[in-house]
Amino acid sequence: MDNFEKHIRDHAAQFNERRADKDKMWAKISEELNQKPSKVIPLWKRPLFRVAASVLLLLGVASFFGLAVLNNNAKKTQYASKELMEIDMYYKDLVSYQVQLVRNNQNLSEENKAEFLSFMDELDAEYEVLKKEMQKNLDNEQVLEAIVSNYKKRIELIENLLHQINESKKLDEDDYGYTL
Amino acid sequence: METEIRFTHKAIVEQCKAGNSNSQYELYSRYVDAMYNVGFRFLGNAEDAEDIVQDSFVDAFKNLNNFKYESSFGAWLKRIVINKSINHLKAKRIPVVPMDAHEFHLTDEEPVEAAATDLNKVKKGIALLPDGYREIINLYLIEGYDHVEIGEILGISTSTSKSQYHRAKKKLLEIINEL
Repeated sequence: MDNFEKHIRDHAAQFNERRADKDKMWAKISEELNQKPSKVIPLWKRPLFRVAASVLLLLGVASFFGLAVLNNNAKKTQYASKELMEIDMYYKDLVSYQVQLVRNNQNLSEENKAEFLSFMDELDAEYEVLKKEMQKNLDNEQVLEAIVSNYKKRIELIENLLHQINESKKLDEDDYGYTL
Repeated sequence: METEIRFTHKAIVEQCKAGNSNSQYELYSRYVDAMYNVGFRFLGNAEDAEDIVQDSFVDAFKNLNNFKYESSFGAWLKRIVINKSINHLKAKRIPVVPMDAHEFHLTDEEPVEAAATDLNKVKKGIALLPDGYREIINLYLIEGYDHVEIGEILGISTSTSKSQYHRAKKKLLEIINEL
């Protein structure tokens, strides 16, 4: 440390020449200090409030589940859940659309159409039975699985049919290639 | 000796921890002028200095439970004021003035120190320094931190602190000689 540095450090106190506006600043500080804690802390610091809040929360949760159970009992004839209903509707629309496509298809022989549609009708009947069973035994896994496999069979049927159509198309194209 | 300094005002600090507002005012009264001067030296104007010092006291009182007498209360509070001042300058400083730009005016010779004994000229000279130089001169010469501490405060290495300080001091002496 050289003389200059020593000189300044020795007289550092003389650099504190200014006076702060003490009262004005304190007014703002105490305002800040009194404001924020009083908003949040007092309510939760009291143990009684904590207990009250816990009881309220418990009551809320209990009544939520209670209502849910009551609702289920009251509406036995409805679907187990909205989600299940939506899935069901989706497949129903899909299947009926495909059936309509098959009916209107020109490339298929009447025989094939009738065979396909009779299978579909059988599966429809089976599905109706399963749906009734579902309403009696809510959440029965076996019934659910049966419904799923019912839909799977329909989709499989449609896939087979599509395959057949594509095969016949391929043959047509091959023929066309040879004539060229 | 050291422990005595660290525990200065311990009784008042403890009462402040308990939330006693009279003790808070007492502690504030003891330190406000010193802190205001620290803030003013960094920020260069009364308005910013007042804001920063107010903020620092509010933070200090709110976080007083984190103060474990590892330093004196004054040193702890001063660090808060300095950190806030430097952050404020950083936020305000839009184009960062590169330190190297000032080097063109520096010679290798040490400027004469004769005129530098006049404290009023030193004060004026420090006020005329660019922000970066003024920060490091304040921290080392007036607040009395060593280069390790300055490195921590400014987020630079100890050797960078030393070389920056050296340049700043040269610049300061030049300015003083021209006054």
